[in-house]
Amino acid sequence: MSDLDHVRDLADAALASLEASRRRIDDLNVYPVPDGDTGTNLTLTGRAIVDALRESTASDRETLAREVTRAALMGARGNSGVIFSQIVRGAAEVLGQTETVDDDVLARAFRAASDAAYRGVRQPVEGTMLSAIRALAEEAERQPADPWPALVRAGDEAVARTRQQLDVLRAAGVVDAGAAGLLEIVRGIAAAVTGQEIAEPAELGEPLTVEAIHQELSRYRYCTAFVVEGHGLDADALEQQLDLLGDSLLVVGDESALKVHVHTDDPGAALSLGTAVGIIERIEIANMHEQTHEREDRLLHAVPDLPATAVVAVVAGEGNRKLFESFGAVVVEGGQSMNPSVGELAERVAAGRANAVIVLPNNSNVVAAAENAAEHAGVEAHVLPTRSIQEGLSAMVVFDPTRSADENVADMQGALSAVATGEVTTASRDAQLNGLSIRAGDYLGLADGSPVATGPDFDEVAAAVTERLLAEPRGVLTLLTGEEAPQLEALLARLGQQHPDLEVDVQQGGQPHYPLLLSAE
Amino acid sequence: MKLTGANTGIVLDSTADFPQAPQRFPNWRVVPLYVRFGAESYRDYVELTPHDFYERLRTSTELPTTSQPTPADFLATYEDLAVYDRVYSLHISGDLSGTYGSATTAAEELGGDKVRTIDTGTASAAVAMLGLAIQRRLDRGTTDEEVAELFARYEQNAHLIFTVDTLEYLRRGGRIGRAAAWAGNLLQVKPMLTIKREVIPLKRVRGNRNAIQFFVEEFTAKSANRRSLRVGIAHAEAPDRARQLEKMVRGERPQAQIELVTDLGAVVGTHAGPGTVGFFWFDDEE
Repeated sequence: MSDLDHVRDLADAALASLEASRRRIDDLNVYPVPDGDTGTNLTLTGRAIVDALRESTASDRETLAREVTRAALMGARGNSGVIFSQIVRGAAEVLGQTETVDDDVLARAFRAASDAAYRGVRQPVEGTMLSAIRALAEEAERQPADPWPALVRAGDEAVARTRQQLDVLRAAGVVDAGAAGLLEIVRGIAAAVTGQEIAEPAELGEPLTVEAIHQELSRYRYCTAFVVEGHGLDADALEQQLDLLGDSLLVVGDESALKVHVHTDDPGAALSLGTAVGIIERIEIANMHEQTHEREDRLLHAVPDLPATAVVAVVAGEGNRKLFESFGAVVVEGGQSMNPSVGELAERVAAGRANAVIVLPNNSNVVAAAENAAEHAGVEAHVLPTRSIQEGLSAMVVFDPTRSADENVADMQGALSAVATGEVTTASRDAQLNGLSIRAGDYLGLADGSPVATGPDFDEVAAAVTERLLAEPRGVLTLLTGEEAPQLEALLARLGQQHPDLEVDVQQGGQPHYPLLLSAE
Repeated sequence: MKLTGANTGIVLDSTADFPQAPQRFPNWRVVPLYVRFGAESYRDYVELTPHDFYERLRTSTELPTTSQPTPADFLATYEDLAVYDRVYSLHISGDLSGTYGSATTAAEELGGDKVRTIDTGTASAAVAMLGLAIQRRLDRGTTDEEVAELFARYEQNAHLIFTVDTLEYLRRGGRIGRAAAWAGNLLQVKPMLTIKREVIPLKRVRGNRNAIQFFVEEFTAKSANRRSLRVGIAHAEAPDRARQLEKMVRGERPQAQIELVTDLGAVVGTHAGPGTVGFFWFDDEE
């Protein structure tokens, strides 16, 4: 195989590897500006090299190296593409001068690539492509027995480290996009050299979070890139002039051709600086703000906006179910004497489709099952041990799915501490409780769990319960009527007289066993 | 340029709920928005008082709609202020109404830079209170720079909380914003809301008593008992709730000055509904 064919194979493999990860790398891109195009830029740069090689007729290494260098420079897109073109230049300088590629040549090529990359950047920053290419050079210089797998491993580690090296990456929970792209190139070349399939990319840290796309925009609007061709071009002089126009500045190349990349609000001024010293071509001007918005759209669709918190509530009664659902709860049927199974609860908790779930058992007998379910649901689940439907409803009123489970639990506990609850039920047998003689079939009124009145007359029992609940000043009294709905006219008339400022909210709860559930807050 | 009450005019739109402004200050004007019941159109406050509006709302089978003043309405007002060298035109949040757009178009039509239109990002008495803060500076002499500083501070430090009896009016008028998630619950719940350009939900509470309690908590947490603390209250057919808030302010922050207690006019009322109470405060340290 000729050198040209061999280099074509390597370039094809590098490009294939890069293209496979292009979108993923785009989405990692938060530095230096979150324009979400690093993967695309590197791919386009790679494609320019592949295209040039396809047309090449180079028969000697030196020509081949020069052509690849020029193709990379002319086709370089974005910051990452320009830095990559310098990596190519450095490596090509070494490889164009040698007959064979042994471990020593490989080490020198990587070192030259790393040095060229650092030279091309005005202010080198660690935690970027630069760190990755240097790590690769260091690994190559170690001359491991099996160099390519070792290089991929070292590259993997270097990419993972970028997250710790740059604050903006740490905050976004991502690795550097340029470094990740470089690694894909190396991975592709390694696969071609060793004759293996391209290995699966390693996990690039956490799954992408929405925060990763809300990094600050570049202060400048236009990503501007062009090539200046001429004679005796002075990269430093041009760089100094361009420096006044914007940031993310790169000017690389040689006396006959310079690649310019700058983020600026005045692309026209940048182009004029180019035409002043030579002929400009390959002009690309992109509105970065638009690119960022497009990516936000894409990511917001790719990463479904999970609510922070969901609620699973154990509820009896059709009306009560609707009340809970109207506040956004997922309802599991159950309550007194029909406790839901742990399995059933766990299933609903796991299906809560939120980052965390709060479980409202709404009955003391269900608290243990709820805690058990929360433990085994396999998702973050908290149990707020509500003892009644009324307590559960008070908690739902302050529920906000966009806030964290901890914040919601704190707010819900606050709501619970401000509510007094009561029930009117019918006694199933004769009993003595709290000094009350209770007869089977009579109404029994409870306030905060303690019996307060009993007798055959619903109005009297209900009135006794409400008076207990309203002993402290309250704003709202909520009445949930049961399956056997009682007549409330007398009770409501009495409340209207004795508590004219009280707001009374009557709802058909439909719960069994309790003709009336009450809460005051 | 030194700005005074003699050379500087202040223009509000009627959603600032400060209809008596031109009687109190000769350099102030109010440009009315329009309220429509079916085919009939009324100028807010001028042709339809809040009292008549809420009465009509109760009995009418048709629901009202609102529309912003035309640029011509603003232009006429700016021309009426021809003797003034500077005009500050203060308006309801541009996210809630096209009023600011109309005013800006008129100012451009007028040409020059005499009229400065400001999108206050807020609504009702909060806008009037910004005008009053500017007027205090005009009374002692001020500059455009000082007004700009005031507005920057106002944007940071002015507080607004309001609550409605039902989110239905906000929803129907398309002004519900992020509070949409709160609509549709079946219990009687008071949504506590604010406006930061658009309507933003703060918290849900049960009943008016707990709503007042929420006002107290927020107000005391975010204000100090000083003479520079200015308070405004606006209500839609809820004078008792407004009085409760007044009493609360006198108890919690006795040094505060209650600048305005006003009805919510027909336009704001169309979108908030009867029973709405708005509470505004701003510590205007000079």
